Formats: sequence, C-alpha cells, structure tokens
Amino acid sequence: MEVLKINGVEKQFAAEQLPSTVAELLEQLDIKAATVAAEVDGQIIEHKNFTETKLRNGQSIELVRFVGGG
Amino acid sequence: MDKLVIADKEFNSRLLVGTGKFASCEIMAEALEKSGAEIVTVALRRVDIENKNDDMLRAIDVKKYLLLPNTSGARDGEEAVRLSKLARATTGINWVKLEVTPDPYYLLPDPVETLKAAEILVKDGFVVLPYINADPVLAKKLEDAGAVTVMPLASPIGSKQGIRARAALEIIIEQANVPVVVDAGLGLPSHAADAMEMGADAVLVNTAIATAAEPSLMATAFKLAVEAGRTAYKAGAAAASKRAIASSPLTGFLRDIQKEE
Repeated sequence: MEVLKINGVEKQFAAEQLPSTVAELLEQLDIKAATVAAEVDGQIIEHKNFTETKLRNGQSIELVRFVGGG
Repeated sequence: MDKLVIADKEFNSRLLVGTGKFASCEIMAEALEKSGAEIVTVALRRVDIENKNDDMLRAIDVKKYLLLPNTSGARDGEEAVRLSKLARATTGINWVKLEVTPDPYYLLPDPVETLKAAEILVKDGFVVLPYINADPVLAKKLEDAGAVTVMPLASPIGSKQGIRARAALEIIIEQANVPVVVDAGLGLPSHAADAMEMGADAVLVNTAIATAAEPSLMATAFKLAVEAGRTAYKAGAAAASKRAIASSPLTGFLRDIQKEE
C-alpha cells in the first residue's frame, strides 16, 4: 500500500497505482488543472510543471482554488 | 465620475465587491453585474475533493473583472505570503488583498505581520493592497513599503456598523499618496456614500450586498451611493453649522413695516 496526503487527508493507493505526476493525480481526482494551484511538500508547482512533477509515496499535497471571499 | 487609478491601472468604478456569502453563483454574477464593479475579491481554499465541481470561477467573467485574491485565513505574515504565492500560481494574478487576521472574534488585522508580509510581497513583485485597521501611522508605513493602496476598515468585517473609525480615517485620507479604499463594516449604501464624501477613493463591500434579501438590487443601490458620494466630494460640500441659516431671504415678509423712530 502507498499513501499520499491530499489536503490533510491520507489517501491510500494499491501498489503501482500511485499517480506518477501532479497532472495524473488531478486527472484521477477529476479536477481541472487550470483552476487549481498545487503544492507538493510545501513547494508550489507551476501549472506548466504539472506533467513533469513526479509524486512519491508519503508526499503531502495541497490543492487549492478560488472560492467566494471578501 | 473621475477614474480610479491603482498601480497605473484605470477603473471607472469606485466600488469593489467581495464574492463571499452569496446564496448561489448565479445570484453573485447578477449582483456583480449590477454593482458596476471592475475589481472583485476572491479567497483561496482547499479543493473539496468530494465535491470538486464547486468551481465558482465559472460564474465570474475574468475578462471583465480584475480578480483580487485575498489572503483571508492567514494568521501571520508567513501564511499570508504562502497564500499570495498560491493565488499567483492559480491564475497568474499578482495582485493581492493582503489580510492577516489572527483574532477570529473581531477579525482585526495584525499590523506587525501585515507590514512584514507587505515588504516581502512587494519585493517579490506583487501588487499589494493591504487591509488594515484605521491606523494612519501604519498606512504611511505600508505606503513607504510599496503598497499600492491602503484599505482601512470602517468597522469590523461583516459587522455592517458603518463608519466607526471616522477620525482616524480622515487622517489616513488626508495623508495618503495612494488610493484609500475603505473596506469592511459598510452595511448600507449611506455608509458607502459617507466614506466617499469624506474623500475615500473607493470602498469595498461584500456582506451588505451578499446578505441582502435582493443582492442585485442592493448592488445597484451601492453603485449609486458610491457615485453620489464621489460626486458630492468633488462638488465640495460647505461646512456644517450649529445654528440655522435660512435658505430663503429674510426680507420682504408680508408684515407691517415698523418705522424707525
């Protein structure tokens, strides 16, 4: 079993099923990449680097987007 | 109405509108339209993985409005800088409404952390619009640090109390070399007009519009109030007086004329 912590919640993946990049993770979660910002272990990943940023077992990922606010 | 200029960008509207607390995206979109606003604030939050279609941006035409991300939720300067960078990474927007509010009860901004974050963000190329308490000294320090506006509160966020920090706001307006946007606490169009008559360059309104029974109608009312207040400020109001001063002539009344002895 492999694990990614996504927005503070641990998500388990069967061996070999861990998404290999940020882009792949977003695709699996069915989230439009253009509307979100991503941080991997505290590092902001630019949109253009989503496809090449590799993910590893145990990493912590933050996915944020705009919501209503004042 | 004369144009508002922030960081060399010109705006026809002097009403900034926040996008929080609307009952739906459709209601928000209609209210934004009616408000005439060109700058709208948004917040940044974690994506709800279980309900990922909650993308409110689909309701905002980003070609029409300048999105101004805020750093709400930041409890210190470091968190505010992190949120600013995430906002920039989301859409490439480098404008940020800097807010640092460690106290959840009154949501008053932390002046020390706000100044610290502003200095870091300006150096990093951000266009910084800080939300502050009505503190004239802090306003000057932020201006010196490169903030493009100052956004002092009228009263606590969402409280709808109107202008409670009048004396300090007057000093900020008098001393500022950057636009003063009165933010937070404006509950009625008359409060917004009041701020504009005082010489504020713009106001930011969210709760008062979003929580009205008919948000789009209230948005229209705020638009008109801001225009009226600004126009009155430009017209130059005469000073108030304690005693009555008749508007009609005090001669020619239909009375017997007393001959002076």
